[in-house]
Amino acid sequence: MSLLPPEDEGDDGIEVAWEDQQRINTFSKLNNRLSDIQDQLKGKQEEKEYYDDLETELELAYDDAKVLYKMGEAFFHLGLSEAKRQLRRDLKKYDGEIQTLEGKAGECERGMKELKVLL
Amino acid sequence: MSTTVASSSSGNKMQMEVNPRGIPRAPFVANVDDFVSGQNGSAEGIIKSFQETSAKYRYMEVSLQQRKKALSTKIPDIEQTLSVVLFLQRRRQKALGQPITEEEGGDEDGDDLDDLEDDDAGDKEGKEEPLKTLFELNDTLYAEAEVIETGEVGIWLGASTMLLYPLQEAADLLSSKLGAAKKSLGETIEDLEWLREQVTVMEVNFARVHNWDVKRRRDQKNSGAGAIAAAASKGDEEEEDEEDDE
Repeated sequence: MSLLPPEDEGDDGIEVAWEDQQRINTFSKLNNRLSDIQDQLKGKQEEKEYYDDLETELELAYDDAKVLYKMGEAFFHLGLSEAKRQLRRDLKKYDGEIQTLEGKAGECERGMKELKVLL
Repeated sequence: MSTTVASSSSGNKMQMEVNPRGIPRAPFVANVDDFVSGQNGSAEGIIKSFQETSAKYRYMEVSLQQRKKALSTKIPDIEQTLSVVLFLQRRRQKALGQPITEEEGGDEDGDDLDDLEDDDAGDKEGKEEPLKTLFELNDTLYAEAEVIETGEVGIWLGASTMLLYPLQEAADLLSSKLGAAKKSLGETIEDLEWLREQVTVMEVNFARVHNWDVKRRRDQKNSGAGAIAAAASKGDEEEEDEEDDE
């Protein structure tokens, strides 16, 4: 039934201290959290890039041009300056979100580094 | 023997520990010998109860994962709706010549954006133009519509119900819903992390008790009568165990 040779199976091999167990748990928790955050971050950054592209695009547009600006599921006909204002608002929102995510990711990495030393 | 009883009762105390949503912590087996003898010496029964506990944790995990998924589609939905409502509100205030109150209650953590000046600067132009939109009728099919701004919006509440709200109330409602959804998502993620930990602890427990059991049986076989005499005091369960051993 046992696959291990008997001498490897002694109590010392099996003993797991509660503290170590907790550290391992925390490490795996942080690792999971980090990959979760990185996924989110990637998505947000991609979306933000679209807005960045849009920003350069709008810089080139004529002053009296009408822009179809998407909010939610509908497009709105907006004047250029209004579109730019909305764009700035949206960009700011993304910047904020990305910053908080990056902060959280940094926290996870720091925690993992500390645990690596201990383990 | 009294020491083992004491340690196992402190183990029970650990079992009662719960996270903020009442999910209990898995008991950790620090010393298999003590633990098993504290539980009437039946490794079989312990393994079975471990498996049951693990199954419960897993069940919870699955249902929470579904909840997380539902919430993470719901939140962007609310965010988008809110941003449209805020947009309409700003437009409305401008059209009425009201000072623009950039409350932005719904904006993320309530940090007010500092584009107040921007709005004032652009106040003169584009005042009375009707708002034209392209809205989605179906996938890839859009229709043009002019929005008559009444200062009210209809919010789909679900259950085949849509209610008209004044813009301010709509914004308030949506931001409170958004906050609640975000909080709930945070809690769900916390619970999931907690559950993961408990599942790992249970797996470790299971493996250790199992290995301990295997080792004990082999020792019994090897050392013959002396060991059996010593183990006999532990009770009858071990004989049952041996039948199941394979």
